[in-house]
Amino acid sequence: MTTVFTIAKKEYQVAMRLVSTYIVFILFLVVIGVFFSNMVFKIGQAELRFLFEMIHIIFLFYIPAITMGSIAKERQSGTLELLSTLPIKLSSIIWGKILAALYQIITIIFLSLTFFVIIVIFGEGIDYGAIICGYIGLIMVGFAYASIGVFASSFPSNQILAFVLALLISAAFYVLKFVLPLLPFRVLPVVQYLSFDYHLSSFLKGVIDTRDILFFLGVTVIFALLAQFNLQSRNLMQER
Amino acid sequence: MIKIENLSRNFGNIKAVDDISFCIQDREILGFLGPNGAGKTTTLRMIVGYLQPTSGNIEIDGESIFANPIKASSQIGYLPEHNPLYDEMTVIELLAYFASLRKLKRDYFKERLDYVVKNCGLKEVLYQKIGTLSKGYRQRTGLAQAILHNPRILIMDEPTSGLDPNQIIEIRELIRELGKEKMVLLSSHIMQEVQALCDRIVIINKGKIIVDDTKDNLPNYLKKSRLLTLEVQGDNVDFSDFLAMYPFLEMEVFLQTETICKMGFYETSEIDLRKELASFIRQKGWLILELSTSKLSLESIFHELTEGEYSSAKTEVASPEQEEQNAHITSIDEEEQQ
Repeated sequence: MTTVFTIAKKEYQVAMRLVSTYIVFILFLVVIGVFFSNMVFKIGQAELRFLFEMIHIIFLFYIPAITMGSIAKERQSGTLELLSTLPIKLSSIIWGKILAALYQIITIIFLSLTFFVIIVIFGEGIDYGAIICGYIGLIMVGFAYASIGVFASSFPSNQILAFVLALLISAAFYVLKFVLPLLPFRVLPVVQYLSFDYHLSSFLKGVIDTRDILFFLGVTVIFALLAQFNLQSRNLMQER
Repeated sequence: MIKIENLSRNFGNIKAVDDISFCIQDREILGFLGPNGAGKTTTLRMIVGYLQPTSGNIEIDGESIFANPIKASSQIGYLPEHNPLYDEMTVIELLAYFASLRKLKRDYFKERLDYVVKNCGLKEVLYQKIGTLSKGYRQRTGLAQAILHNPRILIMDEPTSGLDPNQIIEIRELIRELGKEKMVLLSSHIMQEVQALCDRIVIINKGKIIVDDTKDNLPNYLKKSRLLTLEVQGDNVDFSDFLAMYPFLEMEVFLQTETICKMGFYETSEIDLRKELASFIRQKGWLILELSTSKLSLESIFHELTEGEYSSAKTEVASPEQEEQNAHITSIDEEEQQ
């Protein structure tokens, strides 16, 4: 377990040294800020729900971008060879990478607290419960996307393909909410259950349901296991 | 002791490593030689636990590395080919990172850090980013990483590549020092290095082991292992009668004038023809100006063994000596298993 945190800490520290990380942070704040100012100053609504949905869409691109290199880059530079000959479990490497992405996601969510502070200062009748739940929901959904991103990165290919694959899988979970009206009644509950948006929406309403938490954790674990399987398949790596 | 038994690894239809077996003893530096693409790196990767073998077994002290891979890898220090490192980290960060992944105690890490910094000469670059290091320092950092946890087994894939001559001497000295108490497996295609460092040599070619023996015994594997240089003075110097007596002998004329002839005979180490040659020359009434023998270097042995000359020699009508050698080579695997 300490190994997971050691890897995550190192990955996060290295990422926070890159200029590109800060450029992305600034871009993120600008984009969110534009939507936020529209909503708050034109419509005059003191809530962050719309903002959270925006952040969810941005996550579809942001998280594949931060996870695309997680394993693919190590494979390319050869450091994966070094890492996988250390006395650590393969699963530790994968969870370390997922956790490192989660740290970054939490950082970017922390930055978006700026807007929360503005609302607290200028707004009236704010539903604090819903906002806090919304943040928790975003972290949960981010965790699941991070796992998908690391899984996509575990294929023996380059980083760009890892990004595209992660984007496709993440988007597939996201767009389910748009296909719901087109589906026959029978399969509706199943598809709805798989939709990330469906589970996130109850967080945004201010409801923390254990089932939603379990859903996101379940998706995270499944993709983490798939990533591990991916590394071991084709006899690429020895099992440990 | 590391024991490798019938190890094979295929990549699709290509047999990168084909049923090889050998051992590494305690306190031994084993040279693993072979041309590029012979299967050296693949073998090393299987030993360190990165690559899954298609078949075969690897044991450390009688325990299969597949039974307890974590334990096995905690005993191994590995310097991979091309020495991949995290370029964004500083040297000290990297060492600390590996130490914590290897779960070294803080005090022990400090002690080992002092040791590797001193022995690998990393003092000046300790706080420098690895991406900005020169190749020599980068290689030393890789070596420092490999010996940081004081492993019993040290596996190095071309450890001195990219170093300048002074650094090579330093690193060799360090490897030699380490070899006194550890098992060291050193892959290389630099002959002098292997010659300077290793006690025993395994030569691999096209996925198969062709030689596994001590350095001093290597010349025995060749048809031509010694060169007999001869300079004679006389009229009509002609050795065709002599060559007819010893048909396996090869002669090369280096210089021929009217009265002086300088030539070389390639012979195996089992037979010494100096006496016969001298009496032949006396019979003819010529004068010996020079007669000397020299062993072929490891380099030429390597060249000959891996370039297929040896295998073509096998198909010739072989002298008894050669047959003996062939039998010796094929029996290496069996010997190792005993």
